[in-house]
Amino acid sequence: MRYVPKKVREGINVSDVHPLVEATTLIVGLTVIFAIIALALIFIVEVALYFVPADREARLFADWLPEDLITVAPSDDRLHETQLLLDRLTAHWADTPYRFRVEIEDSDVANAMALPGGLIVVTQGLLDEVESENELAFVLGHELGHFKNRDHLRALGRGLVISLFFTAIMGGDASGIGINVADITLRGFSRKQESRADEFGLAVVYAEYDHVNEAWRLFQRWDSGDSKFIDIGSYLSTHPRSSDRVAELQELSMQKGWRTDGPIAPLNW
Amino acid sequence: MDSTFENLNLFVNFGLPLLLLVVTYFIGNMIERKHFRVLQEREDAMHGFPVVSFDTMPEDWNAISSDMVSGSIVISLDYFKRVIAGLRGLVGGRIKTYEPLLERARREALLRMSEAARAQGFDAVFNVRLETSRLANAGRDGKGTAGVEMLAFGTAVKFSSRFG
Repeated sequence: MRYVPKKVREGINVSDVHPLVEATTLIVGLTVIFAIIALALIFIVEVALYFVPADREARLFADWLPEDLITVAPSDDRLHETQLLLDRLTAHWADTPYRFRVEIEDSDVANAMALPGGLIVVTQGLLDEVESENELAFVLGHELGHFKNRDHLRALGRGLVISLFFTAIMGGDASGIGINVADITLRGFSRKQESRADEFGLAVVYAEYDHVNEAWRLFQRWDSGDSKFIDIGSYLSTHPRSSDRVAELQELSMQKGWRTDGPIAPLNW
Repeated sequence: MDSTFENLNLFVNFGLPLLLLVVTYFIGNMIERKHFRVLQEREDAMHGFPVVSFDTMPEDWNAISSDMVSGSIVISLDYFKRVIAGLRGLVGGRIKTYEPLLERARREALLRMSEAARAQGFDAVFNVRLETSRLANAGRDGKGTAGVEMLAFGTAVKFSSRFG
């Protein structure tokens, strides 16, 4: 038998698709598919919101707390005072289906959030930064605005479906999915939702004090870089930029003819 | 102040991976082209040296000595290939970015084996087999792939007179 050496044909085992073509096809194609799925999920959440009216939500989540929330002791002074302030503010929202509760999260990062069932969580860090009751009242009023517009459920619903969706993709363990504060704090609201919540918050502040003095002073301080730190997960990562916000609030109070001067209520702690 | 922070956040989340993708594409592509070029040159140099998968020799070929020879290579993915393959994994199909990588590994392993055989004075390699094993990435629960080992081995043979 004779051995006749032959040259091997080059590239039999390699697709002649350029890697960049492959990359582009995949990235563009998958982005389109994800966008379609995301839109469908948002639509599903809207439909679900329609079927869960606020009073049912308030009943369902009446005593609910997120599992991973580390709160301060119930005897905490600031918790008591904040709850009293919140009760005064909610008196201006007569037909609310919620029984609003406040919890203080033991975290140095300044933030506030609206959670299902009328639960408002503020952090120790936020309470350390507010300098008057009026400032705190606006932050709470803003969160009330999210309840009014039901943004908190939208964010939560979207967060949940997005988590489920990613778990499905990554092939992870679905049992790990729960309602985590971390999930919610990392998901901000849209610009429009924030503006509407601000509008409601300012109206509540005005109803309470008959002026809106100092309502946005906290944001002015943050804007001038006076704040102690800015961190991922802070108020600013889930809320609009301070400078834009202050301008918007000033314009709003001018339009409505709300006084921007008046006596400041000190904090009771 | 917060706009700087936002930009930094955006950069870390999206800019950095994208930059890494572009950089690793160019580096990976350069290394791959060079490797293919070198493979081609070395294969040309080995041209005429029989490397076959028969497990028996033709009867009229007289062997005077034989030994086992092997050649192996450990080769790793680059970030670009890994990411694109990950995306491919979502929808299925040919993982086109892995194909040239494994092709390089096979050819390199075969070359190392046959070059070793020739260096030891053998005339051909019979019964050539290829084996692959995955090297797990210790960093992420052993789930990720650090690379693959491609092992080529066979029986190198020396003839009394070349090809009978």
